[in-house]
Amino acid sequence: MGTILAASADVAARDGAKTAADAAMERYARGDDDAFGDVYDALAPRLERYFRRHTRDTTLVEDLVQQTLLHIHRARGSFIPGADVLPWAFAIARRLMIDSVRRGSREPLLSEEEISSRTSPLVSREAGGDQVLQARQLAEQLTQALNELPPGQRAAYELIKYEGMSIAQAADVLGITPGAVKVRAHRAYEALRGVVRELGGRQPNEGET
Amino acid sequence: MSSSELRKRVLDAARAEPSAPRSERRWQNLVRVVLGFTATFCSFLLVGGLRLGGTTAARHLSRPTVLVLETALGASAMTAVALFTVFGRRRSMLGRPRSWLWLVIVLTPLGLLAWKVLASSTVPEMMLVWPERLGLKCLSLSVLFCLPPLLLIALLRRGSDPVHPISMGAAAGVAVGGVGWVLVDLWCPVAYLPHLLLGHFLPLVLLGAAGGLVGRWLLAPRAR
Repeated sequence: MGTILAASADVAARDGAKTAADAAMERYARGDDDAFGDVYDALAPRLERYFRRHTRDTTLVEDLVQQTLLHIHRARGSFIPGADVLPWAFAIARRLMIDSVRRGSREPLLSEEEISSRTSPLVSREAGGDQVLQARQLAEQLTQALNELPPGQRAAYELIKYEGMSIAQAADVLGITPGAVKVRAHRAYEALRGVVRELGGRQPNEGET
Repeated sequence: MSSSELRKRVLDAARAEPSAPRSERRWQNLVRVVLGFTATFCSFLLVGGLRLGGTTAARHLSRPTVLVLETALGASAMTAVALFTVFGRRRSMLGRPRSWLWLVIVLTPLGLLAWKVLASSTVPEMMLVWPERLGLKCLSLSVLFCLPPLLLIALLRRGSDPVHPISMGAAAGVAVGGVGWVLVDLWCPVAYLPHLLLGHFLPLVLLGAAGGLVGRWLLAPRAR
């Protein structure tokens, strides 16, 4: 199996965006109206990616991005100095996503093909056809396993692995203690490792799943 | 829609809907909360304020001032802890973990009741049977004192809790109910246990339930 895309550049980009979002939100809370554009630029791409993992309705994704950011705009006056804007934004996004599903926007989950085509490639460009096929099968199985996880475990796993949040930030988003986040994320990780073992593939390390 | 079109749409929508910055909002909220609790305190004074004793056809009861201070100060301390836990401004927009809120919901009413019984039981005749004082007036006063501030707080915090709005609402109801407990305790001289359960403890349970409902409908951000 070929090279897995390194996560470090992605994490560094996310960390930079996190700091920019906090600084922009603080300026916006103090009264700098122009700072909302910077808040948008720091948060909107990540929110969009988050929503696209849960629905293929582009209109819904755009609406939810807008609603999330407008909630943040309305609450600008109550933004606490020094608070982390990212967990707050994702908590709002998660709530709106759940709410829109309950209200009947029962958008079908992405098909396994669509999801696997969006996941990070698990093979290098030089890989042969067999390896590509194996990688695709692995991606599909992992995606299915992820979808079948209990919601709490899945949410903890996604926030930490896909969004690069710390344990404390994920705990904030989910409204649970950091210890509970660790337990849920660990159980999710073990379940996905089980899938890989069953398929007879090599065990992924922290950067691969 | 392209990224730039979406960006323009969102920024235009934000411009069309004014939102007060922090300095303005802080003062607005503080004034409203102070007015809300001032109304509560005025209601307390209107019904008679502090009462050391009470009389029915069956008996006359007078509480020692020390006992009144003891129960009021102890209840105030517990209520202050509950209020701080629920509304305290830690550096997170998402509030305390759910487990902390449930500690407030469960322990505050039990703690207040336990303290009242403990303090009253040390003074002779404070906990004698007094069946004609059912506690309905105390129940009504608790709701009268606490429901308006609870609704006010919920309106001020509308859409603010995307994580645990029901737990937050219930904890807020119990914490605000603690303020009512202190005031009703200053007004009511009766420490007969069934009276305490109906007139003092039950209101906190009801306010917690009301807070949970209010939280569900008002505190969670809603998809439009």
